Amino acid sequence: MTTHAATRRVAARPPIAGGDYRRAFARRGRRSDALVIALWASGAAAAALFLASGGLSQFSSITEILTSVGIVAGLIGTDFILVMLVLAARIPLIDATIGHDRAIALHRSLGKPALYLLLGHGALLLIGYGMSTGINPIAEIGPMLSLPDMPLAFIGLGLMIAVVVSSLVAVRRRFSYEGWHLIHLLSYVSVAFALPHQLSVGGVLADGSLQRVYWIALYVLALGSIVTFRFAEPLVSSLRHRMRVAAVTEIAPGVTTIQLAGNDLRALGASGGQFFIWRFWTPRTWWHSHPISLSAMPTASSARITVRNLGTGSAQLTVIPVGTRVSIEGPYGLFSDAARTSPKLTIIAAGIGVTPVRALLEQSSFAPGEATILLRASTVEETYHWDEIRAIAAAKGATCYSMVGHRPRGVDSWMTAADYERGVTLQSAFPDLADSDVYLCGPTAWLDLIEVDVRASGIRSHQIHAERFDW
Amino acid sequence: MRTRAILGSILASTSVLIVGYQAGVSVTTSDGTSLTLPVDSAAGTDPNATTTETAPTDSSSGSSSGSTTDSTAPEAAAPETAATGPTDGTYTGSSVSTRFGNVQVAVTISSGSITDITALQLTDDDGRSVQISNRAAPILRTAVLESQSAQVSNVSGATYTTQAYLASVQSALDQAGA
Repeated sequence: MTTHAATRRVAARPPIAGGDYRRAFARRGRRSDALVIALWASGAAAAALFLASGGLSQFSSITEILTSVGIVAGLIGTDFILVMLVLAARIPLIDATIGHDRAIALHRSLGKPALYLLLGHGALLLIGYGMSTGINPIAEIGPMLSLPDMPLAFIGLGLMIAVVVSSLVAVRRRFSYEGWHLIHLLSYVSVAFALPHQLSVGGVLADGSLQRVYWIALYVLALGSIVTFRFAEPLVSSLRHRMRVAAVTEIAPGVTTIQLAGNDLRALGASGGQFFIWRFWTPRTWWHSHPISLSAMPTASSARITVRNLGTGSAQLTVIPVGTRVSIEGPYGLFSDAARTSPKLTIIAAGIGVTPVRALLEQSSFAPGEATILLRASTVEETYHWDEIRAIAAAKGATCYSMVGHRPRGVDSWMTAADYERGVTLQSAFPDLADSDVYLCGPTAWLDLIEVDVRASGIRSHQIHAERFDW
Repeated sequence: MRTRAILGSILASTSVLIVGYQAGVSVTTSDGTSLTLPVDSAAGTDPNATTTETAPTDSSSGSSSGSTTDSTAPEAAAPETAATGPTDGTYTGSSVSTRFGNVQVAVTISSGSITDITALQLTDDDGRSVQISNRAAPILRTAVLESQSAQVSNVSGATYTTQAYLASVQSALDQAGA
């Protein structure tokens, strides 16, 4: 217990130089590179499984080439699907290395290639097998279905098509999050349905071979991390901390703080700026989960979030009864002190985007004068928690600017019309930008504008940490 | 940073593929030798008449008890009539291993000609191989019965099964003295 307290104190002490951040960044970079290497190597390993079972001798005729390429496509496609599961499993190591956002972005970018590979697998094998028996690919479906485990594999492919198509941007907009998520859960069924035919129909993963052991280990890793980190860990954490709604306060029209009470909340290990996925257990809200950042660092027994009424789901949160049970998944995200790379700190937040920034500032370590904050709002009514942020900034020796007013008409600027005309620039407001980590948080449209401006200033992309509020 | 990830990925992927290729080469070459082996071994064991003759008796008694007495009797006389042509009886060919499983057939000879071929084992490592060998076996059986030899054309899409099947047939014919 005493050692625990001691390490906490050490961690809270402001670093003397930027060296600590540089070392941490280098460490994170090495881990990130290792993940990228593992991703590509796993794809190569899938192809190597085929080579290891003597596949190279299977390229002597058109039929054999089609069949062989089809088998390799299936192996690599399945490997990609398993990698996608790992990326979506919210494994703490991956979250701390590349962050939840990038993990999900990578997950999404693999979706279409994986589906194409699996469709190619099915098509090439039907053509190849059909040619070897002298029938057309469609007619080959009949004999294939008569093989054990093949009907399941066809159903699995059908489900995977549904999952990927429902996730295409154009199609996804037509679904509610819950509807889309329900379809997305079918990917677990699809992955499970595809396994038997890989082990029984294909010769690559033959009984007793090392290839089979490796492949099953991949499945165990992927499905195991989903079960552990998406289901078991959140359940255990929710049961352990027993959070309940303690108070609901409207701080501005449509904006509410929800105070939560629970056990041993410091043990959550949440950093300022991170988010949890919250589920409020009332008959009307339990099926809806909300990713919301902490708006203050948790104490041992309380935590706080601030919600803006942005949709039907969050509208119900503003009237959530005190005493409601809350289950949690998290903490997630790299929008925190853990992402620091540079000695100085710049924070720019707009609208409801101030909430994670409020907690981030509270936890961030910096010497007086090394942090600059710019708060941005369209109207005075939208200056949520500004008083709190100003108080923290004053106590820690940070400079705090504010900018209230609408954007200029006809020009793409993230500033107010008045400041834009006055000739304010990023460099004039933040002279130390080059030595800073820049944390940006706000509505997507505004954030896109300021991110362009920040990137144009020439600072390295690893110094920019952006969190968009779409929800 | 990114360069390191890219170079690392290329290096790791290449090594993994090379390892896979090496493992694959050893698999194919070992299969290649085992595929030609049976013919050699059948020829090599020919002088040891006693061992080759006892083997078929055991297996034929296992497969069809009715023909046991029929097949043992001619075989006892086999050494004397060997010069004139194939001896009647049921002969079990050697088991030929392929990368999809072992293949072994029994050949029945009566009145000096091949009258039946029974597949004792066909490639069955995986579902697809079972499908392939089940399709190829009847075709090969008909072809061998028609040509009265193991010199028949390949069944396309079932090359491994064909080669192993015919090798096993040939070893059975060698035993019969055909």
